Amino acid sequence: MRRILSSITDGKGFDLVLVGVTMIFLLALAGLPLVYNVLLSFQEVDMFNLAAFQRPWAGLENYREVISQPEFGLVMKNTGIFVFGSIAGQFVLGFALAIFFMVKFPFASTIRGVFLVSWVMPGLVVGAIWGLILAGDYGVLNAILQSLGIIDGTVFWKSDPRLSIWAVTIANIWLGLAFNMMLLSVGLAAIPRDLYEAAELDGANGLQRFATITVPMMRSTIGAVLALGLIYTLQQFDLFPAITEGGPANSSTVAQYWAWQWSFRIFDFAKGATVSVMMLIFVLVASIVYVWSTRAEVRG
Amino acid sequence: MTPQIEISHVEKHYGAFHALKDIDLTIPKGSFVALVGPSGCGKSTLLRSIAGLESITSGDLRIAGERMNEMPPRKRDVAMVFQSYALYPHMNVLGNLTYSLRFKGVAKADAREKANRVASTIGLEKLLDRYPRELSGGQRQRVAMGRAIIREPKAFLFDEPLSNLDAALRVHMRMEVRALHDRLGATSVYVTHDQIEAMTMADHVVVMRDGRIEQQGSPLTLYDTPANRFVAGFIGSPAMNFVDGHGSEDGHSVRLDALPGAPVLPLDRRVEPGRPVVAGLRPEHLFSGGETQFSVPIRVVESTGSIAYYTTDTDPELMLVEQGRGKLRSGDSAALSIAPGDIHLFDPMTGLAL
Repeated sequence: MRRILSSITDGKGFDLVLVGVTMIFLLALAGLPLVYNVLLSFQEVDMFNLAAFQRPWAGLENYREVISQPEFGLVMKNTGIFVFGSIAGQFVLGFALAIFFMVKFPFASTIRGVFLVSWVMPGLVVGAIWGLILAGDYGVLNAILQSLGIIDGTVFWKSDPRLSIWAVTIANIWLGLAFNMMLLSVGLAAIPRDLYEAAELDGANGLQRFATITVPMMRSTIGAVLALGLIYTLQQFDLFPAITEGGPANSSTVAQYWAWQWSFRIFDFAKGATVSVMMLIFVLVASIVYVWSTRAEVRG
Repeated sequence: MTPQIEISHVEKHYGAFHALKDIDLTIPKGSFVALVGPSGCGKSTLLRSIAGLESITSGDLRIAGERMNEMPPRKRDVAMVFQSYALYPHMNVLGNLTYSLRFKGVAKADAREKANRVASTIGLEKLLDRYPRELSGGQRQRVAMGRAIIREPKAFLFDEPLSNLDAALRVHMRMEVRALHDRLGATSVYVTHDQIEAMTMADHVVVMRDGRIEQQGSPLTLYDTPANRFVAGFIGSPAMNFVDGHGSEDGHSVRLDALPGAPVLPLDRRVEPGRPVVAGLRPEHLFSGGETQFSVPIRVVESTGSIAYYTTDTDPELMLVEQGRGKLRSGDSAALSIAPGDIHLFDPMTGLAL
């Protein structure tokens, strides 16, 4: 007994306790709900058996029904636009800002700090603000574009079915910009200055240095930023109720918002779970690609 | 000889800090020049200014006759070997060697062939597929040099390239760098804080302090006739002993007031009687084998077998060097003598040689 106790206070036992607590926490709060969600998608669920665990087995029926919904194609297309538009926008602008702030100028770090505001603010608040900016009649964005002569009339960002998904995407790009910039700044700062000096003396101009030093040295950072961008974008929910509520006519509904609508608007929990599992597969594939692409880390 | 690098009246300011003060230096084609001095003396800044990694505030910098003041580094055609080597970690040795050729439009096959040739000159043939992280310090050092050699640049710039190697390898690479320089007929500028490196490798040594050139010349010129007390103390190992004294009555000798018995040492030149001076006595000159001129008590003995170092029990302490195992022990009295020509005299106020 004493051996076991002393091993817990200062031995292997202590390590096992630390790992064990973490594993129990993960299994209980992430593992079980995940498994339950997958299970739910294969069952018939209604208001009466909601509290039960044993429910009629539905097989792939839920999947068949979800795919045959008339809005399924539109939701998938919107999800694609939202995910790739957001990631591309956040990444390109974030990278540009990160490089910009690597240049030493007065108040560089202070101004960079201000950018973090977008990351600190709750999604619903950001959504509300962008809702005002994007408003058709009194929105600031229209006023700016009009005074610059880029557009003539009024653009209804939120209520035009062709634009509504882009309205949310723009807001999401702004929301994720600071996070991308910070991660990429860290990656940039980790590249030794003398590599750039050596490359400069070796005859590489700015663009060539970027392509042959910055990008390859940042490979793992870029992979992480893109993978996290994908995960955060698929998690983004707050902006939708705040800006468009998925409308008009589902023109800005994405998978995660659709799943919520199934579960908590129509109370068809099985279909909601089904959409979630479909998203899960998507994220899983992306994560595997990320892990695979960074298997041979090159650093120093 | 035609000058390859000409630096005239170069000044460099970092804000309020005056990093380079009126630097004048001409480096002939094919010569090996060492910039040496304590840290913060501006030697690296000068080297980086030649490379174009730092801009100069005023003055003129010419490489092969062409004015380079505003020329970006990539157009200066100089190669630099960094203290950290700055190898590209994501490229193998071949990639590192041929990196500069990519931007010159050299065909892949030609670049490969050139890399092979360079690799065989510096003994890297078998390592072309390795990545920098898989190489030892000495091998990385060679890759860094190979990367410079393959460009056939107008000048090689070395920024303390050997300081990350262990002592034995450093001595070996010292020789190799110099041999390579001779074989390539290159022009090299070499920055180091180690005066032994500078003395052994260079044709021309430039001693710097506080952004100024204190003295330049051949290694032995600096050793034999240092222009001031700083250069005298910096060049030579162990460092020169400095003892306060004054010119004695006959005008041809110096009295060392600070040593016990205030010995009078004859000189081979005149010194004004009564003039206060600082006498510089190199440790290796004090056992000249002549008639004993003065004796000092020994406090510490350090013997390496081939050389013995003695520290005396006087104020100021003297450092003495004797070849061989050393016969003196702590507490013994050392009988010293020095040839008149080996005594250096400096002005106590200005530090300039008399």
